[in-house]
Order: sequence, then structure tokens, then C-alpha cells
Amino acid sequence: MTTPVLSVRDLTVSFPSEAGRVDAVRGVSFDVAPGRTLGIVGESGSGKSVTSLAVMGLLDENARIGGSVTFDGEELLGKSDTQMSKIRGNGLAMIFQDPLTSLTPVFTVGDQIVEALTIHNSRMSRRAAWDRAVELLKLVGIPRPQERVRSFPHEFSGGMRQRVVIAIAMANNPKLIIADEPTTALDVTIQAQILDLIGTAQRETGAAVMMITHDMGVVANIADDVIVMYAGRAIEQAGVDTLFADTRMPYSIGLLGAIPRVDKAEKQPLVPIKGSPPLLVDLPDACPFAARCPIAVDACLAAEPQLLAVEGAVDHRAACIRAEEIRAGLIDGEPVYPIPEIPTSSLEQLPREDRKPTLEVENLTKTFPLTKGAFRKRKIGEVRAVKGVSFDIREGETMAIVGESGSGKTTTLLQIMDFAPQADGDIRIVGTSVTDIKGGRAERQLRRDVQIVFQDPVGSLDPRMTVFDVIAEPLRTVATPTAEIGPRVDELMDLVGLDPAHSDRFPAAFSGGQRQRIGIARALATNPRLVVLDEPVSALDVSVQAGVINLLDELKVRLGLSYLFVAHDLSVVRHIADRVAVMYLGGFVEHGDVDAVFDDPQHPYTRALLSAIPIPDPVKERTREHIVLTGDLPSPTDEISGCPFVTRCPLYQTLDPEQQIRCESEVPLLTGRPGVHVNACHYR
Amino acid sequence: MSRYLLRRSAGWLLMVVAVTNLTYLLAWAYLDPRSNYVGRRPPLSEQQIVNLLEPRNLDDGTPLLERWWNWFSSILFRWDWGVSPTGQSVNDQVAYRMWISGELMLGATILLTVLGIALGVYSASRQYRLGDRVAQGTSIITMNIPIVVAALGIVLLAIAFNNAVGSTVFYVTGSSSPGVSGFLPTLLDSVQHIALPTAALVLVGYAQYHFLQRSLLLDNIKSDYVRMARAKGLTKAQAVRKHALRTSLIPVTTQVAFSIPAIFTGAVLTESIFAWKGMGQYFIETISKNDVNGVVAVAAFGAVMTAVGAILADIAVVVLDPRVRVS
Repeated sequence: MTTPVLSVRDLTVSFPSEAGRVDAVRGVSFDVAPGRTLGIVGESGSGKSVTSLAVMGLLDENARIGGSVTFDGEELLGKSDTQMSKIRGNGLAMIFQDPLTSLTPVFTVGDQIVEALTIHNSRMSRRAAWDRAVELLKLVGIPRPQERVRSFPHEFSGGMRQRVVIAIAMANNPKLIIADEPTTALDVTIQAQILDLIGTAQRETGAAVMMITHDMGVVANIADDVIVMYAGRAIEQAGVDTLFADTRMPYSIGLLGAIPRVDKAEKQPLVPIKGSPPLLVDLPDACPFAARCPIAVDACLAAEPQLLAVEGAVDHRAACIRAEEIRAGLIDGEPVYPIPEIPTSSLEQLPREDRKPTLEVENLTKTFPLTKGAFRKRKIGEVRAVKGVSFDIREGETMAIVGESGSGKTTTLLQIMDFAPQADGDIRIVGTSVTDIKGGRAERQLRRDVQIVFQDPVGSLDPRMTVFDVIAEPLRTVATPTAEIGPRVDELMDLVGLDPAHSDRFPAAFSGGQRQRIGIARALATNPRLVVLDEPVSALDVSVQAGVINLLDELKVRLGLSYLFVAHDLSVVRHIADRVAVMYLGGFVEHGDVDAVFDDPQHPYTRALLSAIPIPDPVKERTREHIVLTGDLPSPTDEISGCPFVTRCPLYQTLDPEQQIRCESEVPLLTGRPGVHVNACHYR
Repeated sequence: MSRYLLRRSAGWLLMVVAVTNLTYLLAWAYLDPRSNYVGRRPPLSEQQIVNLLEPRNLDDGTPLLERWWNWFSSILFRWDWGVSPTGQSVNDQVAYRMWISGELMLGATILLTVLGIALGVYSASRQYRLGDRVAQGTSIITMNIPIVVAALGIVLLAIAFNNAVGSTVFYVTGSSSPGVSGFLPTLLDSVQHIALPTAALVLVGYAQYHFLQRSLLLDNIKSDYVRMARAKGLTKAQAVRKHALRTSLIPVTTQVAFSIPAIFTGAVLTESIFAWKGMGQYFIETISKNDVNGVVAVAAFGAVMTAVGAILADIAVVVLDPRVRVS
């Protein structure tokens, strides 16, 4: 075996906090071999980012670090900031999570790349450094690098900025690139581009990559070896194929079971891991996962299990005393996680046409004027956020709208929630047209039928109101008698799986998943017919996300709700939705039954979107063909005469010139089997 | 950019004109030049008073509209801001006093800005350590000393120092000594006069920039791009200096730009204590002497300076922050 580039032994990191000493990393050891990719997976608070920052020497000064980190034969721990700065950015480079904030806003991207070059190479001339910067930008796929090198970060989109960050990381041909959730903040099509690019960077520089992520799909896509972290420790460590095929530690099994799959049609309920990770303060000497583990035995609490080789295989180690008993997610022939029961609805037996519509949207349009001038606003153009969208939702049905950021999904939702009268169309909620609403009373009456759950469970609950008040607020608004409010709040808390006794607490006392449940309880308070969900699970960790998705599924059946669901995560959409619409630049490009659309995508954009999602299965992932879209979403202010997707369309490239003219000049309409599966492409 | 500035300047000009006219009317509602003569011994007759005031456009017997037009048209056509009840030209006073104030305030403003920013950087990079705590504690105390107390304290110290040395090193009143000539002697004399008021102004004024700079820099030190700069290979000090400081200076600069008007409009109390005949002192004087034209000129001057400060702040932001583009 070759000498590893990076070798971490028994790394510990702790921080002082008001609650006591937080042991964020508790004895992690691993090696990264040259040219290989190590994936570190875990949920928030598992210590994966702290590990990477400890390697880089970028932790806060109050962090206590122990153990040993050897990079390229040198011990890094104990080096001073000045000594470390010689290594950082030179042999050891890092890509951060949020490209929007990781570039300094007041310097050009060229300046920032040049700085990375010259700081380690003082003899390099300015000229040579700028030339190299242009070359690097070209390498990471920035069009017209000669001009763009003088642009400022705010002139770039998120994906392009992440390319610049990667260019900086590649600048000095590092031996190891640490990527900390490099694609989490990006859309799927951009994520695919960036993952490809990290592969390219690795080939160009021959570097090893340490990829930190919470996304099992990304790991399956890119990693050679995987470490799963939980509560500051590695709890399973194996080659990527072994880990996915022969998972041993119950937590890893749970993580895999908790993610919805975009490539699976059958609707099996997801398997959530109950509870939440422990606080890393004064941990007892016991398995930290025992409290959440479905197969925990008394021995689990006796001592913390060590990371030991599974059945004598050196390259597969797990920290579970029952690892030997577990085979491919089964123990004694039973699944480790019992599959929860999700009731089926009587409504689903009814054909779709016979069910009553809860929401009908006809030709919904929203434009924002662009104005100029300080006193007298002159209109100089408009942003066409939503362009003539039509759909309906029937009782007990979930309709999902998917698309990249900026595609107009949220604007569509807000128009419906605003009861915005349409000039050339209509919005009808349970049969009532919004144009018929006159006065506040009628509006409040209709408002009972439509409620919303927001994306951010932290921001959407007033921190100064108790949970009781949060849930009671809509009840009071619709003038529910005071005597009925108390029992109703208890009922709602119970319905979403929270203890009604906790209703006098403030939102801060609850975890992210629990807060989202409070948000759902609030939405259900007025017995709505339609619940609008704006990315309800995207801010949650996967193990928690599964629980919330199951809850939504269950509520739909029990209460006969309809959902309008907006998400960018297609796996979640496939799992939860009955019907789906793919949105691009303010319009639907494909719309239909979820299985029809996902199994037989027609529009080139849908195909690209679906193929861009990494699936958590390394064997399949290797054989899948990813359609990588070039470029970004065009600006919605542009006047588009034909198909809006023309600038990025892979199909368009293969057409002959006459056919291309049609794409450029004629707006495609939704055609196909109406009501079942339609798409807006001239040649599909 | 120049078109934008032109448009902004035009807007501000309108504002200044409106404010000045409004002040003129208000000043007449509250100030009464006639009362300057009422208590005279021997008493002046009504006709004598009118004869004194009328040619100076200060007689309230003349209808207000006429007075206003006389005043406004003489500014508009001859740039003549009128005279005080005693016949001094307002133009001369402002032209002379504005530089006295400038001399005093410019140095003080530069010093207190530099000191404040430097201390801000120092204590931000040592957050919660001893140096930071001492610097913050000191600033809280100095910030809360009234300028009068600070000035008088400094005067007492300076007198004690002069006595101890046995010669007058620091002058405690006036902006210059009479009868000094030659470049070097004049310079030395100015420094001897200016040292004490400057010290007083800096002492009470630097703390605002200290706190502002400290908190802005702290926000930026924790930002992702400073971490990114360190990941590129800059040491922490380099990353803070190059990446955090530049961005955190933007809001400080706007604040400094807005304080520039104060340089020329003067510091009322400091000028009174140290007997500098600057704009601040003029302001008090004109009000107490019912000098309508003088008061209005001071207000107009202040308005113009505010406009200048605002436009300077705009320019500074555009120069420093590439994200801001004017249209």
C-alpha cells in the first residue's frame, strides 16, 4: 500500500461552552491515500466539519485539539499559524460549502486567484500569475475567462463562484483537497457540474480528496472509501461498495433507509431514525446511538463500542457490538428497522376524475416591473416570474412543483396564498374563485381552507410565543370559542407526534424536526382542505426528514388533505407526490402523474434534472449516464421568443438547422396525453 | 457616475434652498433685532431705531414678504447674505470663521478617526482578551465625559504643566497670538494654540469609531471569506488586514464622510471654552444678538455641508464597494 497523504490518528477536538465541555470530535482515525477520495458522511453535529477544520488548522482559538494529524510526513498539530499558512492553500486546499459568502466581495476573482498563487510563490511575476489565473478559470469551465477574470464575485452565479473557489483550491497543485459540503447550497444540475469538476480537478492535480457531505448519493457518486460519523466518532468505515452493500452499523443502515430514492417507483414508507443525536457534553461510556437504536441490548450501555474490523476484514470496520449479527440490513432474518405502517386512503381507490378538485389554477401569471429613477419610477422592463401556469389538485392528492432556484416555484405558491386575482385566468379554491372574494370576512373564510408550511422551521415560528400560542393563533383568528382552543391545540400536538404537555415551551426548546412538526400543526389548526408546503424538509437532516415525510403522508390519508408541494429535491418529490410539474423559467415544461414523468421523462430538461441526482447506490451510480447541463438559468428579464430552454438544451444541439429555427422562434405548448403526462418540447 | 452625481447635487441644492428660506421665516418668528436697541441708555426713539434697522433690511415694520424678497434677491443676484444689526457683513464673518473652525476640526477629525479605527482593529483582533477589555473600558469612560468637563480638565492640566516648566508651552485661549510672523514661528504658535482643543475633541470623540470599527470588523473576521483567505495560505493577521478590514471600512467611511460638515460648522462648546472665533461660536453669537441674517447664513452653511457630506459618502461607497453601481 502507498504511503497516505494524510493520516489522522485519534483526533479529538473539544470546545468550552456554557453547558460544559463539548467533545465535538472524539477519537477519529483515518488515512487518505494519494489520488483517492474519502467520503465523510454524517448529519449536522456529527463532527465531520470540525474534523476537516482541525486538519486545516482553521478552528477557533478556544478549541482544544488532541491526537495526531500527519500530512505528507509532517505533523500538523502544534504548528503555529504562520507555519500552517505555508501548507494551507499549497499542499492542502479546501473548498467551502457556501460559494456566495466564501469569496471576498470587494476583490475581483482574478485578484483572489492571484493572491492564492503569489502568497506561496513570491517570485512569480504578476503577469505570470494573471495568466495562470485565466488558465485556471478556463480549466474550471468559466466562459470567456479573459474578461471574466476582472469580474467581481457578485457578477457570478452561485455555481460559477463555486468554480472559482475550486480554481483557487487547484491553483498550487495541492496533494489533498478537502471539500466541505461543496454542493449543498447548489441546485441539482449545478451540483452535477461541480461534482464532475471536482473529479477533473483531482485528475489534473493528482490530488487526494476528502469529501464531507450529508448526502449518501454524493458519496456513492464520488467516493472510494467512506467513513460514517456519529456523535464525534467514526462508527463505520469501509470501501464504498462494501459500505452500501454490506452495511453493519445500525446508524448507517438507518441513514440509507431514511432517504427517498428517485429511482424507485414503489411507495414504501421511509424508515426514520427516532429521536435526535445526543448532546456532546459529558457523554457516558456507552454506545451514543443506543437510545435511538432499534436493536439495542443491555450490553450496548456497558461501554462505548470500539471501531473494530468486521469478520476480520481490515478494510471494513464498524463500531457496534452486534455488527457480526447484521447482514445486509437484516438481523435474525428481520429488518433492523421495522417498517412503519402508513394507512392507505379510501380516496385513492376512487379514480382521479371522480374526486373533487381542491385547487384549480388557470393561466396564473406574475410579472414584477423593473423600475428606474428615484422619485418618478419609470418602467424599463419586467421580470416574468410566472408565465401562464395551469394545473389542478384533487382531494387527497399531492401535487409537486420542482425546479431550480429562480424557476418561479415559490412565486406560484405565494400568488395562490395571496388570492391574487388573475387578469387572464383564475384561481379557484374548493370551488370558490378568488375574484369573487369581496371583503375581509370572505377572505378569512377562504383562508381556513388553505394553509402554508414554510421551509425554515427556525424563522417561521415567533421565538417569543409559546408553542401553544403559535398553534392557537390561527384558531383565534377564525374566532374559535376560547373553551375549544385548549383541547384543539392538544389534539393537534398529538396529531403531529408531539407531547401536548410541552405546549407551554418556547420554540427554541425544540429540535429542527420538532419545530417543523409545530409548523405543520399550526397549518392544520383550521382544518384546511389544502396545505401548501414550501420546501418543508429541505432544512432538515435526513434521519429527521424521513419522519416528517412520513407524518405528511399519514396526515394526508387521515385527514383527506391535498398538498401543493414545492421542492428542489426530486427524490423527496418522487416519494411523496402523486402528480408533478417541472418548472423552468416561470413555465411548466413537463406535467403529469409522478410515475409517468419520472419513469419516462420526455422533456430534455426533466431528463437532465433526473439524471443529475446522484443515487445512493455506487454500482448503479457508476453505470448511470449523467446529462450535465452547461451554463446557468437565463435571466427572467430576457425577452424569449421561442423555447426558454434553448440555451442549455442538449437535444437542440443534435437537431438540424431547420428544426433549431423552430425551437428558437416558436414557444412550445404542453402536448401529450392531457391530464396524464404532457410536455413542452417540439420534438418529444 | 458624473450624471448621477449631478442629479444628486441638483436634488440637494433644491433641499438647501428650501431649508434656508424656511429658516429665514422661522428666524423672523423668534428673533427680534429691535430688542437689541430697546434697553439702550440714553433710550433711542422709535424713528432712530427704524433708521438703524431699515437700511439693513432688519426692520419688522417692513412687510415680511418684502423683507424676504430683499434678502433673497440680494443673495441670488449679488451673493450678499446681508449684515448683522451692527452692520457687519455676514459674508465676511462666515468666510473668515469657517477656516478657523476648519483649522481646529480638521486635525481633530483626522486624529480621532485614525485613533478610533486603529483601536477598533486592535481590540477586534483581541476580542475578550485583556487588551480589548482595557481599550473598551477606557473608551466607555471617555465617551461619557462631557466635552466641557474634558476641556476644562485639559486646561487645568496644561496650566499646571506650563507652571511646572516655567514657560507657556500650551495656550489655553485663542487661535493665535498677535504679532507673530514668519512661517516657522507662525506654525509653532498655531500648534501651541491648537493642541489643547484638539486633545479635548479627540478624547471625547474617538470612542464612537472604536466601537463601530470593532463590531464591524468582528462580523467580518468570522465571515466565510476570511476563513477562505486563510485556507489559501494567508496568516490570520494577513487575512484580517487584507480581507476583513477593507469590507468593514465601508460603513465607517460613510460615517466619517457624514461628519465632515461638522468640521466647518464647528464645535460650539469647544470653541466657546477655548475662545476660538469659529463657526460654532458665531452660531451662539448670532442667536443671542438677534442677528437674523447671521443665523440664516449659519443654517444655510450647515445645510450645504450636510449635502457635501452625503455626496462624499456616496462617492466613498462607490469607490470602495464594487457591488454598488450607480445608475
